[in-house]
Amino acid sequence: MTPPPSPLAKRQADFMKAILDEDAPLPEGWGNSHTMGLSVYRGNYRSALMGALQETFERTARYIGEDAFRTARINHVIANPPSHWTIDAAGEGFDRTCAELFPNNAEVAELAWLEWAMLDLVGAPDEEAVSPQAFAQASAQFGDAQWLGLGLTFQTRATGRLVTHDLTALWQSLGEPGADRDLRGYEEPQGCLVWREGERPTFIMVEADTARAFDAVQKGARYGDLISLIAGDGADEAAIGDAAQKAGAMLGLWLSEGIVTGFSA
Amino acid sequence: MAHSNPSITPFGGFGLGLRAAHYDQFLGDDPVPVDFVEVISENYMSEGGRPLRILEEVRARVPVILHGVSMSIGSAGGLDGDHLARLKALADRIEPLWVSDHLCWTRTSAHNSHDLLPLPLTQEALGAVCDNIDRAQEALGRAMLFENPSSYLTFPEDEMSEWEFLSAMAQRTGCYLLLDVNNIYVASQNHGFAAETYLSGLPLDRVRQIHLAGHDPATEDRPVIIDTHDRAVIDPVWDLYAEAMALIEQPVATMIERDENIPPLSDLLTELNRARDAAGALELA
Repeated sequence: MTPPPSPLAKRQADFMKAILDEDAPLPEGWGNSHTMGLSVYRGNYRSALMGALQETFERTARYIGEDAFRTARINHVIANPPSHWTIDAAGEGFDRTCAELFPNNAEVAELAWLEWAMLDLVGAPDEEAVSPQAFAQASAQFGDAQWLGLGLTFQTRATGRLVTHDLTALWQSLGEPGADRDLRGYEEPQGCLVWREGERPTFIMVEADTARAFDAVQKGARYGDLISLIAGDGADEAAIGDAAQKAGAMLGLWLSEGIVTGFSA
Repeated sequence: MAHSNPSITPFGGFGLGLRAAHYDQFLGDDPVPVDFVEVISENYMSEGGRPLRILEEVRARVPVILHGVSMSIGSAGGLDGDHLARLKALADRIEPLWVSDHLCWTRTSAHNSHDLLPLPLTQEALGAVCDNIDRAQEALGRAMLFENPSSYLTFPEDEMSEWEFLSAMAQRTGCYLLLDVNNIYVASQNHGFAAETYLSGLPLDRVRQIHLAGHDPATEDRPVIIDTHDRAVIDPVWDLYAEAMALIEQPVATMIERDENIPPLSDLLTELNRARDAAGALELA
C-alpha cells in the first residue's frame, strides 16, 4: 500500500495543480490573500512557456499568424504541461499539436517538426564526420560480404521524415517577417533530412526512398538491407543492380554532407 | 552530516551575466572590464554545440560562475538525477568559481513549473532542503551557494522566518549563500518585514556573492512587486546593497542580473560601475 504523501509533498502537488489549472480549488488553508500571489506564479508559468514556444517556432508563427499561433501554444501547454528540467523541451510534440489543430494543412505540422528538429540539434554532441576520402580509403578492399554487412552510424540526433511540401522553399520564404510565403505541395511525399553542419543545424529535401533508407539505417539496417529495401520484394537481378546503385548514391550523399560519423563492416 | 566539501574561498570582484546578445563582445579583441561572468547553468548543460564552445572560450578569458534555476532543492520528491549528472559534467568541464541555485522548488514528480516557487518555512521543508543539498554537494564534490528567492505569498504553516530558514540550512549543510539584495527588497515589500531585520538575521560570513537586479513595481491593481530582471536597479535597492556590503566581511563578489530587455553591454557596465563606486566608498569611509 502506498503511504500517504508527506505534508510538503501534498502542499507542492496542490500548488502545482493550482498553477496548471486556473479552475483548481485554492490549496488548503489559502484565502484571498494568497490569490494575488498565486496569480503571479500562474502568470510566470504561462509567459515562460509561451515565450519558449515563440522562440522555438518562429517560422511556424509567421506562417499561421499570431492569433492562430497563440491558440496553438495555449492548446499545447494545456495538453502537455512540462515535466523536463529544461524549458526548451516544452516544444516537444508541438508538431503533433499543430497536426491536430490544422488537419487540412499538413505543412504547418511539417514546419513545426522541422523547427523542433533544428533546435534539438543545437546542443547535440560534437561528432567528427567520416570524410568521403577516409571512407573510400577504408572500403577500397571491401569484398561483397563486407559491403552487404556494412553498418553506418549517423550523427546522434540527425533525423528525417517524409513530408508533403517543399520545406526548403517554405523555410526560406519565412526568414523575414512579412515576406510572401512560398508554399509548394508535392504530388507524392518527399524526404527531409536534418543534421548539423559544424555548429549549424541544417536540412535538405531528398527523395522519399532516401528518407526511408536513412530511417532504416538509424534502426540498424545494414547496407545489404538497404539494397533489399530499395529493390522491394521479388526483385530480379536488374532491379537489385539498380537498387545497389541507388544505395551507393545515398551513401555518397550522407558522406558528402558529413552525416556519417562511423561505420563497421 | 559532516561537511566534507572544501570551503569556498571568498572572491571579490564585479561581474555580469553572460547573455547571447553580448557573446561577440565577450569574445572580441577588447577585454570586457568584468572580474567574472555568471551563466544560467541549464543553458549550457548540453552535450555539445555552439553555446558550450562559446562558454569555454569565455572561460579561457574570465572566471565563470554557474547559476542554476532548475535544481529544485525544495522538492519533497528529491533531486532530478539527470539534471544533477549534467550539472556535474558542466562543472567538471568549466571549472567555475562556484555553482549556485535557489532556495525554492520548481517541480513535482509529474510536472515542472519552470518558475522559482516558494517553500513553506517549516522544519519538514528544512529537512527536505538539507537532504537535497547534501546529495547535490556530495554528487558535485563541492559546496554550493543558494540564493534567497523573491516570493509573492507565504504559507499558513510557516514556523520560522526566511532568514532563520537560510541560517539553519547553511549551518546544517555547510552550503554558502548568494544574497540577492533585490529579492530581499521585493520580499520585504510584499510580506511587510524590515529588510534590515532580514540582513542582520543571516549568517553573513556564509555570503560569497551578491545579486543586484531590477523589478516590476506594484500597481493599484496588482499590489505585489515582481522580480523581473528586466530593468535597472532602483535606488532603495542600491541603498540596501551599501548596507549589506558594510555588514558582510569582504571580499565578496557582486553581479548585475539582467534576463529580459537586454540593453547594450555599455549600459550594464555603467550600472556595474555604480556597484564598484558603492563598494569603493565603503573602503574609504
